[in-house]
Amino acid sequence: MNSGFTLWLFFVSMGASALGGMLGMASGIFIVPILILFGHVEIHTAIGASLISVIACSCGGVAPYLKGRLTNIRLAIVLEVATTLGAITGVLLSGIIPVVYLFFLFAAILFLSAQQMLAKRGDPVIATGVVPSGWGTTLHLHSSYPDVKQKQEIPYHVQRVPMGMMLMYGAGLISALLGIGIGVLKIPAMDTALRLPIKVSSATSNFMIGVTAAASAGAYFMRGTIIPSVAGPVALGSVLGAVIGAHILMRTSNAKLRLFFVVVLVLLGIQMLLQALGIHWRVG
Amino acid sequence: MMNQSDSNHPYLESLLAYVLQYGSWAASATIGVGLALSLISAHAPPFSAMKIVTVGLALFILLPVFRVFIMFVVFLNDRDYKFSAIAALVLAILALGVVVGLRAAKMVAG
Repeated sequence: MNSGFTLWLFFVSMGASALGGMLGMASGIFIVPILILFGHVEIHTAIGASLISVIACSCGGVAPYLKGRLTNIRLAIVLEVATTLGAITGVLLSGIIPVVYLFFLFAAILFLSAQQMLAKRGDPVIATGVVPSGWGTTLHLHSSYPDVKQKQEIPYHVQRVPMGMMLMYGAGLISALLGIGIGVLKIPAMDTALRLPIKVSSATSNFMIGVTAAASAGAYFMRGTIIPSVAGPVALGSVLGAVIGAHILMRTSNAKLRLFFVVVLVLLGIQMLLQALGIHWRVG
Repeated sequence: MMNQSDSNHPYLESLLAYVLQYGSWAASATIGVGLALSLISAHAPPFSAMKIVTVGLALFILLPVFRVFIMFVVFLNDRDYKFSAIAALVLAILALGVVVGLRAAKMVAG
């Protein structure tokens, strides 16, 4: 281990996390492919390191959402039962699944993220006159959040909790297998199944991902696949990058930034596919 | 009209914000100190430098676990037994993860 590589890991993670933070994205989806493709880090080591940075960015970034009362912590703890179970399933599978399939899966997730980045998200239309029922009511999950612009409380209902939990189980599984956050699967689960307002959905999933990643990171830590000389600089770089990203969030054109991300995601996806197919690309 | 304060826990929310914020700084600082030590003495890294980094990484893994534990205690204190049971279940699953990791480590070693 040399200090040049430590610094490279630190600055690359900081850059990826700062860019990701500008769009409110978890950086794991960039960090894992970059570590593998450019740093020639072994895939399981890259996944372990990325999981720590996922925890770090989740824990370090939740305070403003909690204080702004955007996080639904009751819903979070209910869904965490599913995400952590999914994470442990992912850990068990990661020991069995051949590395080639991990590359294919990663490429698929990268393409899916690119596609979702192009699509527009809107708040779910709230059906009036519908009497809320089901798990959301029994567990008192319905809530409200303060809207700063309109200066009022906006109530919302949590719907289809069992379906949301099934999707969250899958999200936890993929998160543990690939060492990434659950941004990609959060959208179908939280927007489509649970029908949460976007702000609540983002805040709640950001709150949950820390515990989800801790479930798999705990297992990988015990297994010995979290290498401190890699995970240390990656985690520290990501934390600082997230802070920087949050500060430059307002200053860039969102549409241009989005397009840039779509291109980066597609390029990384293609590289991961080539890697899976055994075609090694010499960079630089 | 539904009860709007149903799922708001102002005290718990600010407590969690405080713990997660300062916990993150503590873990980051620990990793930073370890890395700085290893960079300063790059040619003969002191035995303890990477140990310090490992402690910082472990702190990050424990931080969300501690957060669930706080939720468990606060829900219990509020006599919200259903939710303290859910928090306990999440803690049990997190413990299961550690057991799975340990067994995998033994299988590799043995």
